[in-house]
Amino acid sequence: MSDTLTTVLLFKEALYGALVIALGCSVVGVYVVLRRIVFVGAALAQLSSAGIALGMFLYGLGIGGELTHHPVAMALIFSMAGAVFFGIGGGGRAKVPPDAVIGVTYAVAAAAGILLIAKARTGEAHDIFLQGNILGITHIDTLVLLSVTAPVLLVHAMFYKEFLFVSFDRETARTLGYNVRFWNLLLYITLGAVIAYAMQFGGVMLVFNFLVLPAVTGLMLARSMGGIFAIAITSALTAAALGFALSVPFDLPSGPTIIAVSGAIALLAWAGRRMTHA
Amino acid sequence: MTALVRFDHATLGYGRRVVLSDLSFEIPEGDFLGLVGPNGAGKTTLLRAILGTLPPLSGTVSVQPGLRFGYVPQRDSVDYGFPLKVLDVVLMGRYDRIGLGRRPSRSDRDRALQALAHVGIVHLADQQLSALSGGQKQRALIARALVGEPSMLVLDEPTNGMDLVSTTQILSLVRDLHERDKLTVLMVSHALNEVANYVNRIALTMEGAFRIGSVDEVMEETTLTSMYGIPVEVDEVHGHRIVVARRQRTDATPSHGTPGV
Repeated sequence: MSDTLTTVLLFKEALYGALVIALGCSVVGVYVVLRRIVFVGAALAQLSSAGIALGMFLYGLGIGGELTHHPVAMALIFSMAGAVFFGIGGGGRAKVPPDAVIGVTYAVAAAAGILLIAKARTGEAHDIFLQGNILGITHIDTLVLLSVTAPVLLVHAMFYKEFLFVSFDRETARTLGYNVRFWNLLLYITLGAVIAYAMQFGGVMLVFNFLVLPAVTGLMLARSMGGIFAIAITSALTAAALGFALSVPFDLPSGPTIIAVSGAIALLAWAGRRMTHA
Repeated sequence: MTALVRFDHATLGYGRRVVLSDLSFEIPEGDFLGLVGPNGAGKTTLLRAILGTLPPLSGTVSVQPGLRFGYVPQRDSVDYGFPLKVLDVVLMGRYDRIGLGRRPSRSDRDRALQALAHVGIVHLADQQLSALSGGQKQRALIARALVGEPSMLVLDEPTNGMDLVSTTQILSLVRDLHERDKLTVLMVSHALNEVANYVNRIALTMEGAFRIGSVDEVMEETTLTSMYGIPVEVDEVHGHRIVVARRQRTDATPSHGTPGV
């Protein structure tokens, strides 16, 4: 037991990083699930990965200097562009259905990311985008993650009722003078920021997991918005800590282990709900 | 009577598509106006123009300075996937008064409870909105509109999809709010027969045509026949006026009924 703890503590920065990713993603994930924009989250994650890949590709060619040297900068640009596009209802007025636009974005971004990495001189294995590299998180990385997550959480705490209103009933919000487009955009921008930063460490799979599963767990158990947020955050932090603790001694990949624990928690929530509603 | 809303040669539409043109009318304070027409006839366009969310393509739509709308959207336009209690939903009607970044106060909650009592469902304040019946949901949304202390109540298809009992109860409640609280009311509906027996005036919109007047003026066979484009008659049953389409026999599909309008 003490050996396990010692091993886990060796990677404590990685654990802290995973907890910050879990916290940020689980909060914005509540809106992702309730607004039924789960695949916007997936598309933004893929766009971020394509941004990172482009950064690596261009840096290998000596193009872009500092901008391409820090992959997160490109991830942020791509993610934000996607957030703005989807936030203002991109594709919604065209003949192509909005979910198809999201699907096209997802597929093209995923393929572009893999192709760019395959040809990048500084490229790493492309599965890093899928699985991430939690164990590679450093103290500085955790601080960077916190510097993005903290303002996002602050925005969500301050403007909870505005985000709730435009998500629940945008037409009435509009008649009360709310700039629905602005609040939607702000919500999507916070989503894009969290995803862009979480992506480079957590990978598409883990980020998508934290955006969806904790909120789904909350939705199954809670009877209020406060309850959903509380359960989503708690289950995400528990999955991150427990998954991480299990992955190190058993030599399992951290991301998928955390996702498996998230899935188990969601399954328990479903079973609990079935029993209480039986 | 002060005009709360005034249309002056207003043309409404989206981009180059004109939906209604050259509208000139007023909604005076204390009015109970029914806006009636079939789906796609421009009711929502007109409603948006009144609420200020759709500027006219030409002409002007002006509202009295400081006018507050209490808007009751179509029941199915809100997202019942959100786990919200009835009280939480009613409080939304005060969000703009509460201000950015601030939470509802005790006083806001008291007002929300009063609004729920006013529409007869204060006992449901702690229930999930999604668990309510159609009529109860409609009352909750009306309470949300009332809690903002509006000058004008605007209801979009409040009885859509309801059974006869719920329809009668909701229309009676709206009539009560108009008479008891002296509220100006605009009620949008596609069902002329429902609206005609509760409102004071009717605005009828039909494929670009628009007619507004007292119930007596609009519920007149020549007017309605001209608006609907088919022969209709207005009958009276137990003091209620009912519009029915006259039987039309065609070679292809013989008609067997006299559908209400």
